[in-house]
Amino acid sequence: MSSLSVAPRDGKSASPAAPEGVDAIRIERLSKRYGDVVAVDDLTLRVAAGDFFGFLGPNGAGKTTTINAIVGLVRSTTGSIEIFGHDATSDWRSARRLIGLAPQEYNFDRYLSIRDVLIYQAGYYGLPPRDVGARADELLERFGLASKSRDTFIKLSGGMKRRLTLARALIHSPRMLILDEPTAGVDVELRLELWSLLRELNASGTTIFLTTHYLEEAETLCRNIGIIESGRLVALEPTSRLLQRHGAASLVVRVDGPIPALPAGLAERAFAERDLGLIRIEGVDSTEVAEIVAALVRAGTQITAIDFGRASLQDVFLELTRK
Amino acid sequence: MRESLSFANGVGLLTLIKRELVRTLKIINQVIWPPIISTLLYVFVFGLALGARIKTVQGVPYAAFLIPGLIMLQVIDATYSESSSSVFQGRFMNSIQELLIAPLSAAEIVTGYVVASVVRALVIANLILILGAILVHTVPSDWVLYFGVTVVVAVLFASLGIIMGLLAEKFDHLAVLTTFVITPLVFVGGVFTSAQFLPPAVRIASYANPVFYMIDALRHSFTGSGDVPLDVSLGVVSVLAVIALTVALIMTARGTKLRL
Repeated sequence: MSSLSVAPRDGKSASPAAPEGVDAIRIERLSKRYGDVVAVDDLTLRVAAGDFFGFLGPNGAGKTTTINAIVGLVRSTTGSIEIFGHDATSDWRSARRLIGLAPQEYNFDRYLSIRDVLIYQAGYYGLPPRDVGARADELLERFGLASKSRDTFIKLSGGMKRRLTLARALIHSPRMLILDEPTAGVDVELRLELWSLLRELNASGTTIFLTTHYLEEAETLCRNIGIIESGRLVALEPTSRLLQRHGAASLVVRVDGPIPALPAGLAERAFAERDLGLIRIEGVDSTEVAEIVAALVRAGTQITAIDFGRASLQDVFLELTRK
Repeated sequence: MRESLSFANGVGLLTLIKRELVRTLKIINQVIWPPIISTLLYVFVFGLALGARIKTVQGVPYAAFLIPGLIMLQVIDATYSESSSSVFQGRFMNSIQELLIAPLSAAEIVTGYVVASVVRALVIANLILILGAILVHTVPSDWVLYFGVTVVVAVLFASLGIIMGLLAEKFDHLAVLTTFVITPLVFVGGVFTSAQFLPPAVRIASYANPVFYMIDALRHSFTGSGDVPLDVSLGVVSVLAVIALTVALIMTARGTKLRL
């Protein structure tokens, strides 16, 4: 891919101005019911402007319903949504101009070439073709789609379809990008490419709201994380704090020969698994590792290997969403 | 609701109209040539063969009498299928979401589909008109009336197409209205014959057929006369168009089967 910028340019954005310091998304007590089924249940959520936000949850938890309520594809049963201070119901034109959506399912116009997909999408946002031709070409180039610009979406490979989803979401230079499973079904190389692209966009000021099933992705990219389970928000905090608070890192020491008595200071959180020749110490901060190892050596332990497992988002996720 | 009737995104509206016309051009063999070919066949088989025996209807040669009815037949079919299949395909493939997440109002979306349908209708109507002028030497005597009736009928059936495109759950459903309602009403609505030739009971029944008024109004623009007064036929057609357009607007504004 070339290094052309995908960040919005002055004067070519369809986005109306938004006051400084306003949240990108402000959802107040959002509920969505389908008959007896409650898809989203009294959800209150704020995403700061400029944030890189991960919205996680098991299948059917209400992630896509929430996104669809934000972009106007779902009518909420109760509650309100503001996008950069614009009410999504009463001031919907302004709210929608600020959002670029990369949906999970492909919904491209099959009658148009992929270049025209971008040009027409910009048109729906009120940008005339003469203003967006160059940007469309730039995005196609940046996403490695330039050679296919005259083809329809059906002729693209899976990875290319994913990239087109993103290019289309960016064509009107939105202030916020909403991505529903942006890396589902893409290979490792493309995933890394998309990650760097999202980081670049975020660094240039675009707010990013994404859902993903790859917790590693959320852990790597997102500054803040919300976890939804059965339509309810069960966690909402910075990624680092979420990991600290819920995930307990553990230190595993492999021992040659018999395991001696454990040092007094460790007794409460250390467990000797004699059959396996292991000592497991739980709730360990990375700064303590050297100290603990030294204490074990002083106690006469013959250490052959050390494994320090940092708490992963997966542990936290399972802890919070396990029924 | 008031906001969904606003027009503020002119570029967006023009883009939608353009997209619909591009779609029409891409399926030109399916939507533009067939009505022209079938009109030719009607003119030859009915008009020229049968016309030799019938001579004149309402004071004009039979083949010339046929032309306005054939135009209505094709205009009705073209506009209904344009909007119904485009809206339904958009729902079926989810591509209509491109419009739904954009800053486009219900009024802009409906107008986009309707205007594109009207353009398609005018292209087809005028091609048939040219055929009529060449083959049977008939042209409208009242051009304003000709264009007016064609446009109002196109708006009516484009709106009906939107309504059915929103309600249908499968392609099959779109054909229900065509097969069981529109086609029968068109064929008994006076394309091939004047109501004056019908037995009294059937003639009265044809007054309940909305398509009868459309064909009669268009025939007025060619021959200057019809089976019912022009005010009546224009009134019926206009009222129906306003009702259909209003229903299509309300459904789109409510997001019926669009915004879940």
